[in-house]
Amino acid sequence: MPLSGEAARVRKPSQTMAVLAMCLFLIVIFSVSLKGFLTVGNLLALARNISILGILALGMAVVVIGRGLDLSQVASFAASTAIAIIIINAGYPTALAVFVGLVLAIAIGVLNGFLISVVEMPPLLTTLASSLAVLGLVRSTAVQHYVVYLAKGHDGFLQLGGNVWNGVPVPILIFGVSAILLHLFLSRTVLGRSIYAHGDNPDAARLAGLATRPLTMLEYALSAGIGYVGGVVMVAETALMHLQIAESTLIFDVIMVVVLGGVSLVGGRGNVMSVLVGTLLIGVLLNGMTIMDMDVQTQNIIKGIVLLIAIVLDSYLHPHDE
Amino acid sequence: MKSGLKKHLLWGLAASIAALSVVAATPSKAAEAREELRAQFDKALKGKTVAWVPVWLGVLESEWTRVMKAHFDDYGIKFEVRDPNFKSDVQLQAVSSLINEHPDVLIVQNPNVTLLAKELKRAMEAGIYVVQVNMASNTLSDAYVGVDARDLGRRLAKNIIGDCGGGKGSGEISILEGEATAAYSLDMKNGAMEVFKSDPSIKVVSSQPTSWDANKAGEITSTVLQQHPNLCGILSVWGPQAAGAVQAAKAAGKSGAKIYVASDGQPADCDLLEQGGFYRILSYRADTQGEAIVNAVIGLLQSGDKPGTKRIAYYTTPAWVNSKEDRIYCFAVPKDAK
Repeated sequence: MPLSGEAARVRKPSQTMAVLAMCLFLIVIFSVSLKGFLTVGNLLALARNISILGILALGMAVVVIGRGLDLSQVASFAASTAIAIIIINAGYPTALAVFVGLVLAIAIGVLNGFLISVVEMPPLLTTLASSLAVLGLVRSTAVQHYVVYLAKGHDGFLQLGGNVWNGVPVPILIFGVSAILLHLFLSRTVLGRSIYAHGDNPDAARLAGLATRPLTMLEYALSAGIGYVGGVVMVAETALMHLQIAESTLIFDVIMVVVLGGVSLVGGRGNVMSVLVGTLLIGVLLNGMTIMDMDVQTQNIIKGIVLLIAIVLDSYLHPHDE
Repeated sequence: MKSGLKKHLLWGLAASIAALSVVAATPSKAAEAREELRAQFDKALKGKTVAWVPVWLGVLESEWTRVMKAHFDDYGIKFEVRDPNFKSDVQLQAVSSLINEHPDVLIVQNPNVTLLAKELKRAMEAGIYVVQVNMASNTLSDAYVGVDARDLGRRLAKNIIGDCGGGKGSGEISILEGEATAAYSLDMKNGAMEVFKSDPSIKVVSSQPTSWDANKAGEITSTVLQQHPNLCGILSVWGPQAAGAVQAAKAAGKSGAKIYVASDGQPADCDLLEQGGFYRILSYRADTQGEAIVNAVIGLLQSGDKPGTKRIAYYTTPAWVNSKEDRIYCFAVPKDAK
């Protein structure tokens, strides 16, 4: 972890390259050693499997670039998609239900942003608390047993989790489109650049005349909103939402992907490319290990080692005291 | 002769009166005995306290709780539920503090074989009956109610071999485990592997934990189906996670993989079977398990035994669900149930 913004500025772009190199290395190793890795079918399955994690990481990246952290992202999409499913099951139009869920998710994001920027609570505690509150509220009012199933016969909606053109998974297309849109937003718009400025130096950003409070709300709203897209894809893939996902390690996987790819926790660093690379590395790794049918302990050891190698490689290439 | 007849008649009359009075007396005595039985039952149960600490209140646990509460309310038993929501430290604390509150019976669902073992021993030493549900810990207690997960695994595996082994299918099997360390899931997997290994025509191509997550189960299944397009059977230790495998198999297209699920009999599992997603369910029916827990509790309360002196087991008999006709083996949650 970088100690100062200055160090991070020098290091970060290269971390993306280092991770990309590791990723290519793994792909070569797996292609040679694993029968069935380098096939169109498997690569499409791999693409399908990384889509949701990737979409969530895109949302998380926005907040992290703005020097924040959103621990409530998974809880917020789980709760809002669960409510959307309930509305669909009650017979309302799917588009309306999905929209209501989106509004709900964004509202949670804005509330997070409000508490952090106006009430000035620390992001870590705010989002931890709001995730517990949202989850508890939804569970006690709407989803007693944690699981909501999508009723039978919403094939149009489920198509979002299906395939097009001879097996191309729709989720990867949604991930791709989200990534391009977010890239354009972050790199080409004033608001997007403002998020970098905000994360780079919040005080300077404020003194320069940026409205940092609404900006914070926007960042968290984007995290929740993009997270919601990931949640909708998840529902389309499984035809259910299990609120327990909010208590799983998914949120840490999301943060790991973001940080691994080079979006620094000190803020203002990294971009959409970092997220894509981080997601790809984790995706390739998980896919290879699943093909090998490795037991879970070995999987964890290898995941940990890869993460360590990525960090060591990076600090070897770019020592701290440069 | 005449007087003899008269005498006989008189004796006869007297005998019949005596007989009648005996007959008349019997029902009143029986009624007394029956009332005594009820009084004895009420005396043993009324005002007693039963505490219940599940791992969390999911669908299965809520159904148990609903059945227990209905009966205990009826019998005048005070019923306390603590929901640790999957946090093992919270569950341990709940059990410890309950021991100090000294209920008459403590019912627990173990998350693993060790977490509560010491506390359960302490509870029995403190004079509390302990009932363990669906998975026994290393400490055996007054009663155990639930499945034999290893046996469920064996039954499922035998059934799958019937469909996939001996050349009837490709013989390729994938197992979707639950949480990697959950004993329920491990036991079932080990039971299944025991049977699978005995048949050379069967090849278990994948056995991966899903952390009870449908999405993860879907990801694993889509990767496995890519590598093994002829996959014949998928064994899932739990229903909701297998729903993810159903969608993954659909997305993979012309997959002939059949999904076999060990189920608590929750309605959604039967729904998925009727929609063609699951091929076969082995259901252990949470509602009848709830009844069995109640029976264990009221049996202990009436037994007069000192807590910790008996080891009574109530193993659940699971039932196969093949089609809509077998819907009775899934429970239905009443609309107004909390």
